[in-house]
Amino acid sequence: MSGPVTRRTLLAGGTATLVAAPWVARAQANTLRIGMQSILSGPIALLGTSSRNSLLVEQDRINAAGGFLGRQIEFVFRDSKGQPQEAARVARELVNTAGCELLVDAEASSASFAVQEVMRDLNVACIHTNSETSSLTADPKIRVPTAFRVARQGVHDAVAGSLYLADFANAKKINKWATCSPDYAYGRDTTAQYLQFFKKFKPDVEVVTEAWPKLGQPDFTEVITKLIQAKPQALFTLLYAGDLSAFVNQGNVYALFGQMTVATPNVDYPVLAAIKNLPAGIQSATRYLETFPDTPANKEWGQAYFKRWNERPTNWSWQNSVAMHFYEAAIKKANSLDGKAIAAALTGLKINSPFGADGTITMRDDHTTIGYAIGWGQTIPKDPFITDIKPADWGKIIELETEWKKQQNYS
Amino acid sequence: MDFNALGVCFTTPACVVTQATSGLIVGMLLFLVAAGLTLIFGVLKIVNFAHGTFYMLGGYVAYSAYAATDSYALAVLAGAVAMALFGVLFERVLMSRVYGSNVLMQLLVCYAVVLIFDDIVKSVWGPEFRAMGMPAAFQVPPLFIAGGVVPPFYAVLIGIAALIAMVLSLGLSRTRLGKTVRAAAVNPQMVSALGVNTTVLFAIVFAIGGGLAGLAGALAGPVRSLSPGMGFSILIEGFIVTVIGGMGSIAGAMVAALVIGLVRGFGTIGFPGFTDGLIYIVMIGILVLRPQGLFGRPL
Amino acid sequence: MNRNPALRDALFAAIVLILVLAIPMLHRSPAFEDFIIRLSAMALFATSLNLLVGNTGMVSFGHGMFYGFAAYAFGLTMQLTELSLPVAALFAVALTTIAAFVVGAMCVRLSTDYFAFITLAVQMLFFSVIVSWQSLTGGDQGLRGGIPRRHILGFDLGSQLHLYQFCAIVAVLGLLALRHVSMSPFGNTLRMVRDNAERASFVGIVLWRARLLAFTIAGGFAGIGGVLAALFVSGAYPELADWPNSGQAIFAVMLGGINSFLGPVLGAMILLALNDLVQRFTEYHGLVLGVVILAFALGLRRGVLDFIHLVWSKRAR
Repeated sequence: MSGPVTRRTLLAGGTATLVAAPWVARAQANTLRIGMQSILSGPIALLGTSSRNSLLVEQDRINAAGGFLGRQIEFVFRDSKGQPQEAARVARELVNTAGCELLVDAEASSASFAVQEVMRDLNVACIHTNSETSSLTADPKIRVPTAFRVARQGVHDAVAGSLYLADFANAKKINKWATCSPDYAYGRDTTAQYLQFFKKFKPDVEVVTEAWPKLGQPDFTEVITKLIQAKPQALFTLLYAGDLSAFVNQGNVYALFGQMTVATPNVDYPVLAAIKNLPAGIQSATRYLETFPDTPANKEWGQAYFKRWNERPTNWSWQNSVAMHFYEAAIKKANSLDGKAIAAALTGLKINSPFGADGTITMRDDHTTIGYAIGWGQTIPKDPFITDIKPADWGKIIELETEWKKQQNYS
Repeated sequence: MDFNALGVCFTTPACVVTQATSGLIVGMLLFLVAAGLTLIFGVLKIVNFAHGTFYMLGGYVAYSAYAATDSYALAVLAGAVAMALFGVLFERVLMSRVYGSNVLMQLLVCYAVVLIFDDIVKSVWGPEFRAMGMPAAFQVPPLFIAGGVVPPFYAVLIGIAALIAMVLSLGLSRTRLGKTVRAAAVNPQMVSALGVNTTVLFAIVFAIGGGLAGLAGALAGPVRSLSPGMGFSILIEGFIVTVIGGMGSIAGAMVAALVIGLVRGFGTIGFPGFTDGLIYIVMIGILVLRPQGLFGRPL
Repeated sequence: MNRNPALRDALFAAIVLILVLAIPMLHRSPAFEDFIIRLSAMALFATSLNLLVGNTGMVSFGHGMFYGFAAYAFGLTMQLTELSLPVAALFAVALTTIAAFVVGAMCVRLSTDYFAFITLAVQMLFFSVIVSWQSLTGGDQGLRGGIPRRHILGFDLGSQLHLYQFCAIVAVLGLLALRHVSMSPFGNTLRMVRDNAERASFVGIVLWRARLLAFTIAGGFAGIGGVLAALFVSGAYPELADWPNSGQAIFAVMLGGINSFLGPVLGAMILLALNDLVQRFTEYHGLVLGVVILAFALGLRRGVLDFIHLVWSKRAR
């Protein structure tokens, strides 16, 4: 790698520096720069902005406590617009040009895979904070020594959700289900995963119809009427954010929610706030909820975020916050910023966290977190929005995840 | 492909009624967008790639107006009028400077407008999506016609759109302005030579086009989500309708919009996951075999 | 010198290439090297589009499909077969050229506006096929797992320096070849087709055949750009074949100048630098980019190089 830039090399590289002027690193004093990249514009900008807000809260807290290894930290934010090739470029730029010594990759799935490929070449620690696609860390071919995930993992949610919904369906004698999920990799793969586990726990389930609207499709009417025609007893949907909101509003027009029970893992505060007529009784997972886990620490964190940003945190907010907690603990333990040293310290690390099911979250050997809070309950139209929350059984989740990994030939 | 399910649907009145209404509502709102697009092309021979932005802004203006007045009618009116004015501004300040230029120059100006207003919307209304909420008057249970489900709100929307289509076609065929517009579409030089002020005419055409797109965005407010960049998918759909119907033909836009709405309505039952591909193939087929579209005149 | 333009071009290309290759020996800047790698891909992509737009007067809205097609063809060949990298690259470019021929055969008979629409429509169809054909392409997540990095002719493409050198050489050679096409008698034929189609057919030029050939060549060179892009991101993503990517090439052509051979290269440079710089200071890059585009379109009314040529020739007079 390039060493310190001396006067001599600068002179020698006359033309080079002239041409490369905008790309030459701005040498800063002792501040530790941390690169963060995400989607900060376009229809799913909330992913990036709610991640960034949370990181800024962490930046203040960490600096007030003395920084990392005595150095104040400063985030460098970049917008990749969610495009993989742009994400790859930005990751390289953050390290090579902006001089970042740590990375927080807050990209959505496909871009996080691009960042992962770049990480193979850079000896810098990186934490993926928003990608839930299991294979990012579960598949040993894709895993990278210095890259970790602090986020929900698809397969964990699928097991937890299927267990809850199987109990629910047995209690209510609901056998005829429909699915409605966005027509792209996340929607297809995750629906398949949920169904696989769901059928395992409730073999007599019958899927009467499937609908696959496009991502960002403005109108779901034909999808809604198709679902109504099929007369299922319950509907499982993976639509999220603006799509989920539009689906609920258009579903209300057809009184969809009176005709079938609806289950979804993707309800978050912004959706709850934006949907003006939220139907009661939707079976829903908790993405982020101030009241789950129902602890003072969690409530305090949610309130502090609200106070600072005048909006409520998302699932992405807590994930990014926890990523910084992991960095903090690992750097203290390793007493170094070197990628390999941090990686060694992170592996197997267990930290206290307001978002842990039992007050702790663990970074497992396969570079992904376990023990975070997962719960399912049902919606009510006003605060706290989801009630009767049942926490998931992590023992069962790990057992089935291990089985799933064997099936995929991942271990 | 599931032709069996499609067959079953066609023999059940309930299914036909429900899917047809859902196709109609998609088609009618699409028509409002495409009508402006095709009108502008017909008269000015310009493809307005910024048309989706009118739709988006119409939705956002209506959203704010509804929040301020709590009246859906006022909100819709505000969205449509604001976009008619915006259309005039857009034409006068920007597009009039690139008439007669390369089509790429026009594309460039339109795309710049799309980029700029996506970001303006983001800074004014925030990056996250917004939803207007259903007006209390329409929070009523759906009607059942022959066993099929028809929401009253959609029945009203379809009515409004149909009314506008009628006014538009009557206006074009009966009024003096309409006749001038039609004449300009065939031979702009001649119209200009006959003493018609084409500057005013072009501005009016953009006002109508912008107003219709804004109206569509506002009407859909209670059921669709608003987000920066939402105009793009609408532009593409409007564009497909315009090409299939014939660039410049209002009747063509109507027929093509309804066809696309119905293909979506019944396609979701017969060939889910392939409706988009099918529509593109139809579009390519039409361009190859009959480039001027179903109802268009050859260029 | 003027007596042999081909020699002059080759000399110019050689000097540029030597300069570009010399820079990392004097001063290493990984970010600058990344920039040149991306520029290589983009320059080939935009310049090949200009063979259609500037040279032949064919406005294609769907040029990105060939860029994306080649990236997928290359990535898949590398992942699924044991072929060596140059063979896989050549195979991918050949396949892309054939694809361009097939698409062209369908489209080139249409007049300007309809030609633009149909290329856009074919591109959207191609994009929706990539996204739906998950088992092969990985759908919207793109080809994952990276492109195996194999050594070729002493180049280790896993190393940034070698990738930089490789891309610079391929881009300069590619541009030189395109320049040759543009200056050849065939290039003159295309210009005649653009300026006066009637006269061209009167002197015995079969219009559709000339256009089809131009379209095929342009598609092939866009494919070379696509291969370089796939190498840079070590994968292939649907965005490479999407409408906004075609738009990027169109902007590069328009910003740089459609009547100058190096215009698109300059345009690509401006666009990439603008993108990289603006992103550091604001998340409202759409706003900034939009204003810049408006300034060009309404202020200069032509690309930078064309503008300079214009001012130059006025001065000379």
